[in-house]
Amino acid sequence: MFSPLVLAAEKGFDYGDMLFYMVAFVLLMWLVKVFAWKPVTKMMNDRATKIANDIDSAEKSRSDAESLASQRRDALANSHQEASTIVADAKDAGNQQRDKIINQAQSDAQKLRENATSDIEQQRQDALVSARKDVADLSIEIASKIIHKQLNADDQKALIDSYIEGLGKDDQTR
Amino acid sequence: MDSFQFLGLTFNTANIISITIAFAIVFFVVFFLSRRITMKPTGGQNILEWIIDFTNGIVRGQLPGRDGGQLGLFAFTAFLFVFFANQLGLFLQVSVNGVDYVRSPTANPVVTLTMAMVTLALAHYLGVVKFGFGGYISNSYLKPFAALLPINLVEEFTNLLTLALRLYGNIFAGETLLKLIGGMAFSHGLPTIIVALPLEIVWQGFSVFIGAIQAYVFVTLSTVYISRKVTVEE
Repeated sequence: MFSPLVLAAEKGFDYGDMLFYMVAFVLLMWLVKVFAWKPVTKMMNDRATKIANDIDSAEKSRSDAESLASQRRDALANSHQEASTIVADAKDAGNQQRDKIINQAQSDAQKLRENATSDIEQQRQDALVSARKDVADLSIEIASKIIHKQLNADDQKALIDSYIEGLGKDDQTR
Repeated sequence: MDSFQFLGLTFNTANIISITIAFAIVFFVVFFLSRRITMKPTGGQNILEWIIDFTNGIVRGQLPGRDGGQLGLFAFTAFLFVFFANQLGLFLQVSVNGVDYVRSPTANPVVTLTMAMVTLALAHYLGVVKFGFGGYISNSYLKPFAALLPINLVEEFTNLLTLALRLYGNIFAGETLLKLIGGMAFSHGLPTIIVALPLEIVWQGFSVFIGAIQAYVFVTLSTVYISRKVTVEE
């Protein structure tokens, strides 16, 4: 029991065991390969590939998100600028409109005033002319009634005119 | 029956039975651990992947790169077999009329010598495959210079013997001490049993540790010998 080597030497070497071990080991290796080694190592490789892919795709989506965010940021900045341009344009347009309306109103008022002034002048002239005419007619009538003398209207009128002019000169001289 | 003859070869009954049992244990353990292989590992698959990573790590430590890729399966199977063979004799020893039938197969020098021989035969084979026969001769025996040929030749035999007898010595000594403590336990009735039982338990626990260490050492040295045959010595 304590000396298998001596025992083996006495009874002859156990060559059969060696053969048995070798055959059994090769068989076991094959069985392990078929039932466990291949599927497990394949799954381990698949997992390694999957993890690598996941890392890659995560990196990609991260950079995508970053570029998207910077796009948004640019767009926001642009819209700010655009908005301020629009406001400035509107202000300018409003100012122009206001100036135009004020000018228009001023010129309209000016025109109205001029029209009114000329109308007043015209009416004054008309009134003056008609008053002069009325005075002349009246004077003729009065004179003809007073002196009973039949003058022709034109002589009479000339007479009245010269008289009135004489009055005017007297006014001026006085 | 200690041994029997078959086809003109001598078979040791204990060795045949023990080797068969150890191989069966390895196969069924691996088989049941690998039933549900999924992308997210659970339960048995985790254990299996841990062992595979462990033996692959041993191989990669000696053979970085592509050379190590094909040795993973060999290292995995050898590790599991040596481990379970070492543990087998610790809890199951069948002996009838002084003749062993079940014990650790690695407690027999013929078995361990065969294992070492298989390993070294694989190493020499892989060396020839990689460098061709001439390259294998010069790489294995004539480096660093041709005068070292005798020493290199002797080294091949010492490799074989140390690889085999280290494993055998450790496991055989462990089993012998177990048997001695067991014999002591039943020598003088109850008092010796009470004394011997804790000793037996302690020694069994230590032998489990020894068996695991020896399995690791055996696989590591196997890959070292293989790597020395398939890599160019500087």
